[in-house]
Amino acid sequence: MIALKKRHRIAVAWAHDTNTIAAIAKAVNKGFIDAVLIGNPSEIRKTCNDEGIDYKIFTLMEADNESHASTEAVRLAKEDKADIVMKGLIGTDKFLRAILNKENGLMLPDAVLSYVCALEIPAYHKLLFITDPAVIPFPDLDQKIAMAGYAIEMAQKFGIEKPKIALIGASEKMSRHFESAVDYSIMCKMAEKNQIKNCIMDGPLDIFLACDKQCGKIKGVKTPVDGDADILLFPSLESSNPFYKGLMLFADGKIAGLIRGTKKPVVVMSRNESEISKYYCIALSCLMA
Amino acid sequence: MVLKNMNDLKRLVDGGPRKKLVLAAANDQHSLGAVIRAWKDNIIDPILVGDEAEIHSICSSNNYDITGLRIIDEHETEKSVETAVKMVSGKQADILMKGKIGSATLLRCVLNKEWGLRTGNLLSHFALFEVDTYQKVIAVTDVAMNIAPTLHDKIAIVNNSVACLNRLGYTMPKVAVLGAVEMVNENMQATLDAALLSKMNQRDQIKNCIIDGPLAFDNAVSLESAQLKGIKSEVAGDTDLLLMPDIEVGNVLYKSLVFFAKAKVASIILGAMVPIVLTSRSDSEQAKFDSILLAAAACR
Repeated sequence: MIALKKRHRIAVAWAHDTNTIAAIAKAVNKGFIDAVLIGNPSEIRKTCNDEGIDYKIFTLMEADNESHASTEAVRLAKEDKADIVMKGLIGTDKFLRAILNKENGLMLPDAVLSYVCALEIPAYHKLLFITDPAVIPFPDLDQKIAMAGYAIEMAQKFGIEKPKIALIGASEKMSRHFESAVDYSIMCKMAEKNQIKNCIMDGPLDIFLACDKQCGKIKGVKTPVDGDADILLFPSLESSNPFYKGLMLFADGKIAGLIRGTKKPVVVMSRNESEISKYYCIALSCLMA
Repeated sequence: MVLKNMNDLKRLVDGGPRKKLVLAAANDQHSLGAVIRAWKDNIIDPILVGDEAEIHSICSSNNYDITGLRIIDEHETEKSVETAVKMVSGKQADILMKGKIGSATLLRCVLNKEWGLRTGNLLSHFALFEVDTYQKVIAVTDVAMNIAPTLHDKIAIVNNSVACLNRLGYTMPKVAVLGAVEMVNENMQATLDAALLSKMNQRDQIKNCIIDGPLAFDNAVSLESAQLKGIKSEVAGDTDLLLMPDIEVGNVLYKSLVFFAKAKVASIILGAMVPIVLTSRSDSEQAKFDSILLAAAACR
């Protein structure tokens, strides 16, 4: 991963689980973050001892329960005492409620809450950015436009100036019966008119046209993405989520993802994700901070 | 292959085989003149269906010599239209033209399920203009028939018009999907339809043409205007076909071109088995004649 210059401060809400604590410890020891672990201090200390981690490398802060821990983490970010907020052993819904809170939350004004991840798979020649496999179930046109914007932004942070974004469907044909195909056609025209900037966009495209260089020639479909996609935008959570999980399960995929639309980076991972995945997410959040 | 003016249109049909044109309810002062002129110019072989005595009376008052012209005597208007339409579906005529009868009545017969001229396609109005201030003829659709076309309708309208232009010798006519602005605006359906039609054209789902849009009228017809706005488009400034968002703006454009720009115009209905000439009393004699020319050129 890219070398990071600054030591970012991360506030972890209900930092009770082993994977989270271990990932945080690794990042602290690597020198790119300082961490505040919010929760039950004695429980945190116990987990540290069990894992052979020195709890003194962290700042511990007391909270009564998961919701309280979430609001405390958000408060630290709002008061500029933290640069990044991370979810610990809490259900995503509870945690996001604190983020989304109208008065005390962390949302940018009028922003769409969404999620983008970077996926590394040996079978593909570069990183693939996927959206939105975690937050928006059935994005409408405006949400898709926001998703594209976030993914482009993230790709740019990784040094890709004008990422190729494939709007994914089951076919490359436009059909008025598929809302996704209609939305994608509108987005492509917007990109053509520079209303969506800094990308090379095409869709609808199937995965083969998006990621397989031979496919365009074989199918006789001309597309500027042409098997070289940086970003895959999916029509629904139910299509993108199984996609990335399938790649992790069957194609040795590694991911790092981030919530977007917030004033400061928010790291949300499944409670059962591995330590290494959480570590990558922490690193990603520092890149985006 | 591009038509610069109505003379070029005439050159397409000059010297070719004469098309059979059937005039329904032919006892009509307003349409007979144009039909007879086209006959004398060897463009068409007319068949007049209507009140024979009245036809002769109109012709003699106008000094039309109709010796040798085929007339089928039919006194009842509706019956004369039915006869005319059946001649077309019976492959005895290549063009249907409206005489002394309302458009709605004629079209009802055209759409008759048993003996009509249905093809399963949407019927649409196609107008071809010659304007002094544009470098070639320009087609406009649909200014008179489809009131508020949906995307599905617009696809049919484009396909009808492109097929017609193909028959006029245009291999890849340039189609501008018009809007009030050239950017996509979620509140402006015309701009969204333009995006969808562009994509369908890109994916070869609408063939034999180049579609771009949304384009505002000035960008569509003026390369300079398009360049001033930084618009990069294969169609801008070089449009062959203007696709109108709805009938109101289409009809207003049509009439503005005729009244303010003194444009020449030819119009036909597409989508039936044969081109249909539906001139109205307010059309000039030249427009009626040019419409017959267009119908003859547009025949398969």
